Amino acid sequence: MTGALLKKQMLEVFAWIYQDRKTGKNRSRRGIITYGLLYTVIFGFLAVMFYVLADTMCAPLINAGFSWLYMALMGLLAVTVGMFGSVFNTFATLYQAKDNDLLFSMPIPVRTILIARLSGVYVIGLMYELFVIVPAIIVYFLNIRLTFLTVLFTVLIPVILSFLILAISCILGYVIAWISSHLKNQKILTVIVSLAFIVGYYCLCGSAGNVLQVILQNPGNFGRKVRGVLYPLYHMGLAAGGNVGSMLIFGAIVLGLFCVVYLVLAHSFIKLATTNKGSAKKKYVEKTARMHSGDRALLTKEFARFLGSPAYMLNCGLGILFMLAAAVLLFIKQDTIIKTLQMMSAGKDGIVVAIAVAGTCMTTTMNDMTAPSVSLEGKNIWLAQVLPVSGWSVLKAKLHMHLLLTLIPAAAVIASVEWIVRPSLIGALFIPVMTVLFVILMAALGLLCNLKMPNLTWTSEIVPIKQSASVAIALFGGWGIITVFGVGYYLLARVIAPYAYLAVVTLILVFADIAVIHWLKKRGSRIFDQLTS
Amino acid sequence: MLRIENLTKIYGGKRAVDDLTLHILPGEIYGFIGHNGAGKTTTIKSCCGILQFEKGEIYIDGISVRENPIACKQRLAYIPDNPDLYDFMTGIRFLNYIADIFGVSTDARQERIRRYADMFELTENLSEPISAYSHGMKQKLAIISALIHDPKLIIMDEPFVGLDPKASHLLKLTMRSFCDQGAAIFFSTHVLEVAEKLCDKVAIIQDGKLIRSGTVEEVKGDSSLENVFLELEEAK
Repeated sequence: MTGALLKKQMLEVFAWIYQDRKTGKNRSRRGIITYGLLYTVIFGFLAVMFYVLADTMCAPLINAGFSWLYMALMGLLAVTVGMFGSVFNTFATLYQAKDNDLLFSMPIPVRTILIARLSGVYVIGLMYELFVIVPAIIVYFLNIRLTFLTVLFTVLIPVILSFLILAISCILGYVIAWISSHLKNQKILTVIVSLAFIVGYYCLCGSAGNVLQVILQNPGNFGRKVRGVLYPLYHMGLAAGGNVGSMLIFGAIVLGLFCVVYLVLAHSFIKLATTNKGSAKKKYVEKTARMHSGDRALLTKEFARFLGSPAYMLNCGLGILFMLAAAVLLFIKQDTIIKTLQMMSAGKDGIVVAIAVAGTCMTTTMNDMTAPSVSLEGKNIWLAQVLPVSGWSVLKAKLHMHLLLTLIPAAAVIASVEWIVRPSLIGALFIPVMTVLFVILMAALGLLCNLKMPNLTWTSEIVPIKQSASVAIALFGGWGIITVFGVGYYLLARVIAPYAYLAVVTLILVFADIAVIHWLKKRGSRIFDQLTS
Repeated sequence: MLRIENLTKIYGGKRAVDDLTLHILPGEIYGFIGHNGAGKTTTIKSCCGILQFEKGEIYIDGISVRENPIACKQRLAYIPDNPDLYDFMTGIRFLNYIADIFGVSTDARQERIRRYADMFELTENLSEPISAYSHGMKQKLAIISALIHDPKLIIMDEPFVGLDPKASHLLKLTMRSFCDQGAAIFFSTHVLEVAEKLCDKVAIIQDGKLIRSGTVEEVKGDSSLENVFLELEEAK
């Protein structure tokens, strides 16, 4: 019984290799090989990145007599990466598994179900951990004198360390499950956690270089702190050097912690897994409804879809936060920006404006709400088609949402840019006019691409949002357009003045906007009316 | 109210609906019967303007679906067999959305939502997201949304699937009283007893072709509708 459950769990864990998420069908052998190669390249790239980091730290720390600190730091990194990979998986695997009800109804002890589930989380944590720890061990072996015990313990360490990842992931997963079961709107939790992760990631990337420098300059001080705060990892570092006592202490602490977590989980597993999360009934109270126009109703529907989907907000609307942050940062760093602009433009007002326009437009390209918006209708497409509204009205609502959510934060960027650049009157006009025209073009192009390449048969909304050609084209197409205009100026700079060039680009944008919107109104509207899910 | 003239719909060379002609008059409940894949849903979706068709014409209240689809849609309501509604909306928000699209006044929508939601026992659930609804609740919501703008014609695809016995009974009563006020209903069903008891007229479709139509008495004669249907299937 346990064997069958473990086999099922492993099939689930590795489903991404042999199953296509778009169709839910098994991949062909050729597809599996291609997919496997693609992931080997991606994971290989990650492993090389960690190898370079390990190589930077290993020799200096070993030479300073802190070989344990090297292994402890790489272990800490491995635990962080492993947790990142498995914490949300823990939540989904343990508490939100679709077959929980089925398994609970079968004559299987709850502890057996829990062990099978935990084995899946363990394997995922181990996979992520290995990206870090394998390059770290290779570098370690190249820099120390190898003995039987160092090799044996260093090989055993990842296996035990993964239990630490499993224990921490279970604790965090438990916290998420508890919050989730007490939160009516779980979408808020998803958005907050995701945003916190994104901010944390950028902060970590930004400060990684400095932290590394501090460690290498003063390993003694840092080592003392690590020893005090991360005691198990201190012993893990010593164990890697062949210390039997430390190996026993490290193993006992990690496995002891895991046993405690397991016992707590075994006690509360059924309750947490079967809690009807966040579905506390909200009693209907009749309110006087306000009548709105059809166009307003369609726009409100688009906003409801956007605000109702964390995946849609985070993947296609992150530019809103990015633009607001950019507006503030530009203002704070204005001295540096002015100096850079003066250096790049040789004091020519027109070139400064052109750079300002390109930069402002670039910040808007992270918003691509229209690009998956037709696909997101999915099985609901019949509703838009059976109501007495034209296809163009529906498409217009999608365009309007994109424009509102992009142009309002873009206005903050424009205001900041105008304040810093302080261009002539004509330059001051070009910046907002060209930005608005560019945003309209990108919104309309996103819609056009999605009408040409719709996917209405998805089973998970993440497929049209993240894995569609229209989104990729909309996202990178914006950068492409800006680059083309930039290269165009570079080539024509000798024969055309900056403002004249900007005027030509403005005209091109006007014509492109008119052409794409005309296409959407006529052909696009007809395509939308004929779509079937 | 609904006039289908020589409707032909082709899928990849195969005639899903072949030269079908049907007239549904105001006040009539018209049942549409056929085996799986006979062409019922294709016909229904063509009438609603969801599917384009190759030949023929469809008129709703005298207006061509092909030439003026929006005016036709303004007069009809459609309830699909599997009501995939907007999961990101609450029930009440969805009803207000439909009411806004059809331009239903505040007073009228409030009165209709109250009446039909109470009737189908959905009032308590109107504040909940549609994603939390069961199939039957979604079906009830789709029915209420169809009635909210007081259409002249309701087209339904298997409307009784997923409904509990009480809701099924209420739907039958509502259908009758709706048609008694001069509107018309065209619906497909596999439940022949329902068709026999509820419908004024029925049509039987087989492999895209209309093989029999008329009043229930004309179609079934001295036998039952079930026997007639099975005999026709065996004679294929």
